[in-house]
Amino acid sequence: MGNDRRNFLKTAGIVGLTLTVGKSFGATKTKKNSVEFDGILYDSTLCVGCQSCENACAEQYGLPLPEDTPDPEVVRKTDEKRLVVVNSFNTSKGEQYMRSACNHCNNPACASACLTKAMLKTDEGPVIWREEKCMGCRSCMISCPFDIPKFEYNSPNPKIQKCRMCYELIHEGGKPVCVENCPAEALLFGKRRDLLEIARTRIYTEPEKYHHAIYGEHEVGGTGVIYLASVPFEELGLRTDLGTTSYPEFNKTFLYSVPAVLILWPALLLGLNNASKNRTGGNHE
Amino acid sequence: MENFSRIDFFDTKGIEYLFVIGYLLILIFYWKVSNKEVKFAGQIQKVISNLSASLLRIPQGLFYNPNHAWTHLDESGTAKVGMDDFLQHVVGEIKFANLKNPGETIKKGDLLTEIVQNGKRLQVFSPISGKIINTNVILSKNPELVNEDPYGKGWIYQIKPANWMAETSSCYLADEATHWTTRELERFKDFLTGWSMRKSSTEPSMVLLQDGGELRDNILSELPDDVWKDFQNQFLNSALTEG
Amino acid sequence: MNNQQQTGLFKFLISELKPKGKILTPFNVIAAITILVAAGILFIRFKNGLGSVIHASQETPWGLWINFNVITGVAFAGGAFVVTFMVYILGLEKYRPIVRPTVLYALLAYMFYAGALLLDLGRPWKVINPIIGNSFGISSVLFLVAWHFILYMGALFIEFSPTIAEWTGRIKIRKFLVSLTLGVVIFGIALSTLHQSGLGALFLMAKSKIHPLWYSEFIPILFFISSIFAGLSLVIIIETMSQRIFRNNMSFANKASHRKIVISLAKVCSITMFVYFSMLVLVFLHGKNQMYINTPWGYWYLVEVIGFVLIPCLMFLYSYRKLNLSIVRIAAVISIVGIVLNRLNISTFSFKWYENTIHFPSWMEIVVSAAVIFVQILVFRWIIRRMPVYNEAQVGLTEEKNNKSIRVYTKSEEKWKILVE
Repeated sequence: MGNDRRNFLKTAGIVGLTLTVGKSFGATKTKKNSVEFDGILYDSTLCVGCQSCENACAEQYGLPLPEDTPDPEVVRKTDEKRLVVVNSFNTSKGEQYMRSACNHCNNPACASACLTKAMLKTDEGPVIWREEKCMGCRSCMISCPFDIPKFEYNSPNPKIQKCRMCYELIHEGGKPVCVENCPAEALLFGKRRDLLEIARTRIYTEPEKYHHAIYGEHEVGGTGVIYLASVPFEELGLRTDLGTTSYPEFNKTFLYSVPAVLILWPALLLGLNNASKNRTGGNHE
Repeated sequence: MENFSRIDFFDTKGIEYLFVIGYLLILIFYWKVSNKEVKFAGQIQKVISNLSASLLRIPQGLFYNPNHAWTHLDESGTAKVGMDDFLQHVVGEIKFANLKNPGETIKKGDLLTEIVQNGKRLQVFSPISGKIINTNVILSKNPELVNEDPYGKGWIYQIKPANWMAETSSCYLADEATHWTTRELERFKDFLTGWSMRKSSTEPSMVLLQDGGELRDNILSELPDDVWKDFQNQFLNSALTEG
Repeated sequence: MNNQQQTGLFKFLISELKPKGKILTPFNVIAAITILVAAGILFIRFKNGLGSVIHASQETPWGLWINFNVITGVAFAGGAFVVTFMVYILGLEKYRPIVRPTVLYALLAYMFYAGALLLDLGRPWKVINPIIGNSFGISSVLFLVAWHFILYMGALFIEFSPTIAEWTGRIKIRKFLVSLTLGVVIFGIALSTLHQSGLGALFLMAKSKIHPLWYSEFIPILFFISSIFAGLSLVIIIETMSQRIFRNNMSFANKASHRKIVISLAKVCSITMFVYFSMLVLVFLHGKNQMYINTPWGYWYLVEVIGFVLIPCLMFLYSYRKLNLSIVRIAAVISIVGIVLNRLNISTFSFKWYENTIHFPSWMEIVVSAAVIFVQILVFRWIIRRMPVYNEAQVGLTEEKNNKSIRVYTKSEEKWKILVE
């Protein structure tokens, strides 16, 4: 047991070191070619509901600071003025917290639904919204299984608002501000693969502390933001009935059949036209 | 943690296939019911078409007088009268004038009604005698009923006949009626050929017979009043000469 | 075309803008009021943002203009592809008299409902983005639907253009346009199949939000089949009303063929609805959603499927056998209501059904939706009263001596006009 703990501390230490300073040692501009997505690990057991993440995000993006606090009676939701919220729940293991924001899915429904490519899954991993392309059709809102994109209904030039994992900062080599400012270290930023390893290690080494699943590992085909908790995720307001297929897969059959119809239908119709011509004996003008 | 189980992604296939079999059986039945011959539907009529014998509707249970009026006795003892498909095809769009009222008596050979088109008139004479019980007043507003359904909704009067047996004995029935109609069509073509030779060929509207000798539908609607008067004499007045 | 002909055409078009018929009829007054109020509402919408006018929320983003005018309204424009299929592909000449009005109705429907879609966009001025090519979101179903709308409008316009050519007397152009008809009809039918089903495919990713009785992977196919009898039912109603309202603009052929056409359409509707109902049963069996039937949502589902699909289906069959036009018309109305119910159920009512709040549109949305329909009807009427839609010029080619000429019989003037090529 002792060995295991030592090993875990070693691994965690190395991983943590690499995460924080490894960038300056390692390759600098591999991001463009890399297919490793960035992600965020949120550990609900460490979260204390201080809302530092909410405050940091609001400051970063010029949004109003949160005025309400996590309350088990009220489920706060993100909207066009709040990109991330923390809720508190009364669970079987006491009061626990759960954060809610864009999950930056591996294969996002919103990006697939967007007909102008305003919603884009970047190469680095975050799903961003690009203002110059959006026409405000709100298909992304219809498709997102987590109901994350929010629309500025009261503006004549409305934007879609959602967490963008501080994409501009990541691009420069930084971290999302919520991760930077979390005093309880409930949030970790890094490559999704590494974060999954950390999460699995945490579950393995402290099995009584955690619920034995990582939310977002397989849900809707895998999400960039993954969650750990001490209780089953339904108790914390997360939907567990979304399935493991990525949502764009639901459109596959239909989209694939479009070119086929455009090939088959004209041939079929010409044939029918020919056959009926022979029957009635003449052109139908 | 999810339970692991064998996933059968098409476990409803049993009942679906059963349903499909049931559906195909019902479809056969449904299709048959949908396509059964409906009363008086006859053959599909081309709207802008040629007028040929195969196109004319000649229901077999009706009596036709030589003046192209029909009559039919139903179980209650009243007879309906109207004009036949040949006449309707030949004139096209018409209005009714001088429709008689219920209560009036009519004798065989009397004027049934006048059909009018742009000032041109034709008189249709009655095949039977009797008392008029009912007039189809819809015809004054919707005269095209007589073109759509001359033997059904296009009936003109309901008459209580005075002398059914004797008067219908001179009418055509069933096969006889079919042959007679074919002969009338030929007679009509000759009639038109006669007229087209009489008129000068520079009048463009006198192109009456297309290639192959086929008649255009509603052809009388394009012809002037003197043709109408002659048509009246040759086709609708024959009973008068018989007496 | 020489100068004189060009100015002649221009003068002709200007003169045609004058209204024909009475101006102050009840219909005109109601339409005018609705349109004026709608204009005011739209001014507010563009000044203050969508939220000031529609009842959409972050949870239910689409309002009545998309859910009703586009997703439901376009289904009713499906009459065009069915009727052109029957006449041009299958050669069923008996439907020829209704081709022009049906294509005209569909053309106007797509034009105005695509317009209604623009109103429901947050930033309509960016609609150019998916069209000009620097942002093609090809994996989006809405992209496909938008492109098909544009292409199909073009196809319908070409299908309708011979009428316009006849109206303006351009015989050579008319001949050319008629030669395009078969190709454009085939293209239109393929496009229609795809975008009618595409409207359903828009909701495929909302699997977690629509009630399981209405959601299935078969939604696109169901939308396509229902568009067939939705379009034909509306054709029945339009033709019935036109027989009374546009009587003076109607040729004899049109008036005389009305009964026959309506009865035949009843048969087609009946069979299509039977097939649709069977598909609904299949989807129900496939989805293993039997446990939902015994809930309020389940009862509502049964009302929609049995009361508004199965019953009009049987009514159509009965009225066809008994040649009863009144029952045909009643069945058509019921099936139209059924389609509206179905489309609104999927897009609005059962969207987020588990939140237990029914989403109703605001009165302002309803007024604007109605105004769009009124404008469409007014344009339809303007065209019917002037162009040979219901009284097609009967064009026959005759060879007289060495001249080829076209004789056009215009019913309104009751004579043959000769137009020499």
